[in-house]
Amino acid sequence: MLATIQNATKVYGQHRALSNVSFELREGEVHCLVGENGAGKSTLTKILSGAITPDSGRIVLNGVEHKRLTPRQAIELGVSTVYQEAELIESLTVADNIFLGDERSATFPLVVDTRAQNEKAAALIGSLHLNLREDAVVDQLSSAQKQMLQIVKALYREAKIIIMDEPTSSLGLEETNSLMNLIRDLKAKGIGIVYISHYLEEIFEIGDTITILKDGESMGTFPIETIDMETVIRKMVGRDASLFYTKEAVEIGAVQVQLRHLARRGAVQDVSFDVRAGEIFGLGGLVGSGRSELVNLIFGADRRDSGEILIHGRTVTIRSPYDAVRAGICLITEDRKKLAMFTPRSVVENVAIVHNERYEPPVLSLRAERRRVQDMVKKLSIAVTDQEEQTIAELSGGNQQKAIIGRWLLSDATLYIFDEPTKGVDVGARAEIFRIMVELAKAGKSIIMVSSDMPELMSMSDRIGVMRGGRLTHILDRRGVTEEMLIKHFIGVLT
Amino acid sequence: MRRAGAIFREQWFFLLIVEAALAVITGLINPRFFGLNNIENILEQVSVLGLVAAGATLLMISGNFDISVGANIGISACVMAMMIKAGYGYAPSVIVGVLLATFNAFFVGASSILFKAPSFIISLACIGIFRGIALAFTKGVLQLIYGKFEFLGTKRFFNIIPLLFIISIAGYLIIHVILKYMKLGRRAFAIGSNVQATYLAGIPINLNKLIFFIINGLLVGAAATLLLSRIGAAQPSTGNGIELQAIGAVVIGGTPMTGGRGKVIGTFFGVLLTGIISNALNMLQVNPYFQDVAIGALIIVSLAVSAFSQRGTRGV
Repeated sequence: MLATIQNATKVYGQHRALSNVSFELREGEVHCLVGENGAGKSTLTKILSGAITPDSGRIVLNGVEHKRLTPRQAIELGVSTVYQEAELIESLTVADNIFLGDERSATFPLVVDTRAQNEKAAALIGSLHLNLREDAVVDQLSSAQKQMLQIVKALYREAKIIIMDEPTSSLGLEETNSLMNLIRDLKAKGIGIVYISHYLEEIFEIGDTITILKDGESMGTFPIETIDMETVIRKMVGRDASLFYTKEAVEIGAVQVQLRHLARRGAVQDVSFDVRAGEIFGLGGLVGSGRSELVNLIFGADRRDSGEILIHGRTVTIRSPYDAVRAGICLITEDRKKLAMFTPRSVVENVAIVHNERYEPPVLSLRAERRRVQDMVKKLSIAVTDQEEQTIAELSGGNQQKAIIGRWLLSDATLYIFDEPTKGVDVGARAEIFRIMVELAKAGKSIIMVSSDMPELMSMSDRIGVMRGGRLTHILDRRGVTEEMLIKHFIGVLT
Repeated sequence: MRRAGAIFREQWFFLLIVEAALAVITGLINPRFFGLNNIENILEQVSVLGLVAAGATLLMISGNFDISVGANIGISACVMAMMIKAGYGYAPSVIVGVLLATFNAFFVGASSILFKAPSFIISLACIGIFRGIALAFTKGVLQLIYGKFEFLGTKRFFNIIPLLFIISIAGYLIIHVILKYMKLGRRAFAIGSNVQATYLAGIPINLNKLIFFIINGLLVGAAATLLLSRIGAAQPSTGNGIELQAIGAVVIGGTPMTGGRGKVIGTFFGVLLTGIISNALNMLQVNPYFQDVAIGALIIVSLAVSAFSQRGTRGV
């Protein structure tokens, strides 16, 4: 047994990222982890690589129990992670990267023996039958080659366990095939592989064992021969009815927002849909399917290559968020710390900023501003003790999110875009945010909601657009949609 | 209730206490410190620095720096002095000088935007440009205008309050009004604390950055005018080093190098503190070389104080 994790639990605030999950990995085994976005796959692998310490549970590596595994220890014990975004020095060669921090010198100390390094690297690459030149500079490599380089590097460090997190998400068919071959070689060398992927076909091709996670819980571990795709999908979904909400019925009016052939190279391809007044249009899909990219395009945060946006039947020119805000579009971003909050500033300044920009004269009336923000704080029941003295950073996650939503409610808009509106907020704030969204719908606004949270997506949306590979592949009506159906659309398995 | 306690958390309040203590100690040792003449002297000394530091406060809050202000003062003062010497009259000379300073600051800001380079580096390069042009203009000759343009530098209201100081206060007030009451100030804080979030709130970044630089240029122009009037002469090296004194005073006043926070009242007391320390060391007959040492140490101390006080508030 290479690694054993027993009853690992990890809690962030009120969110149980992982709850009582056990996991085993043998020599020469490909153990696959599947589950929706946020099911706990990454948390589990981060425990194995020492990046996070579980709140409870046992970690046994090579027969030795580790109470507090650090990333350094994990690496020394042979646990290696291959990231989607390669952690390589772009300006150095393949061989240099392999030997980084462990350079060989020959005649003179401190002088790197490039020839010896290149020879060793070539031998290592050759033994894996890879298409990779040892003297190529890394920034010239394709993303597939970079991933392979990471694997070679791991092998040079005598890795016994290699974690691959969505290794094929940016690879073409041919590259995926050569990665599969490489994994077979690694298996033959007795290396254990933890393989995370949304692509079930790959898993059934390469995997030995499969563990299915859902909302931080294990739905069981199975030898791959004993299970079929249908069963895996059913176990990934199938939530308790209590997680779903009954959204108040809102009358849906005429088409208000029309998006025509939106595209941006490498991210979004020819997306068209309409949103009606009072409608919540959900956008679902896997991580990296282009949902956030699409809404950034609509808001003008990213430039679009082509396409047209019509509001109330009239074409609007949107080149930047400045244009979008004035055309009546607003975006509540996913990463509020990085993209929305002015951390050292007061709640008042954070909430008032967009309203001030749009409607106020150059010299502000502080009193009117205070009253305006006070009303919004009350309306959204944001827990603030002193809105002028308290900085937004001092609020809880849910209250920060409500304050940011309040910022946009103070600016009149036609289309409200919510990108993961309840990410990292507690249950109470979640219900409040849903209430705000319903109220906006009732007021005849159009809403686009990006969500990775299945119950949220299914409960709040009137229609659900499915994104895959930058395309809007399907638009489903909420009525009659099941979790199982949705996840099949997301993954692209349609039977 | 909170209001009453809030004053103790303000950097400027601590500075005020330190200044009072310094004054009392110096005054006890050398009673001349509290002489009217000496106090007027201190106020005059801090006036020019005050204008420059007020502008630097706005820039630093928005996350920008202009370290070419010293050289900018040099070239503007030289041009003004040459024009006055050539008999162009005070008003046209001052207008041209202030416009030149404003243009120079605009040039720094615009280059920084255009070439997507930090304003710190661009302004570093501009020091050489401004000073070199000033040297070419003056051919390195000191431009003396003794007895010609003294009104601004010597006028005292009621024979007590120097006009210089009043103008300096006006500079602080302008920046204070911008920061506290104007959309422009909110943008400065927003840009300084999170550029991306500001952009996504629909606020144009570059236009505002340019405005901050232009306002800074106007204040630098005013500072050059006052300095020229006070010393009655100009040369390319006039204003040398004032940029670092100003940044130091802003930091002492509690505005962090990273921007997003700060108050101009802090800068006011920061400038005053450097003035009092220089003067006190003079009064106590300390070797003048140690003045620079003292100011340098003061900057480090104030950084240490804010590092510790931030550690205390983290995780609240």
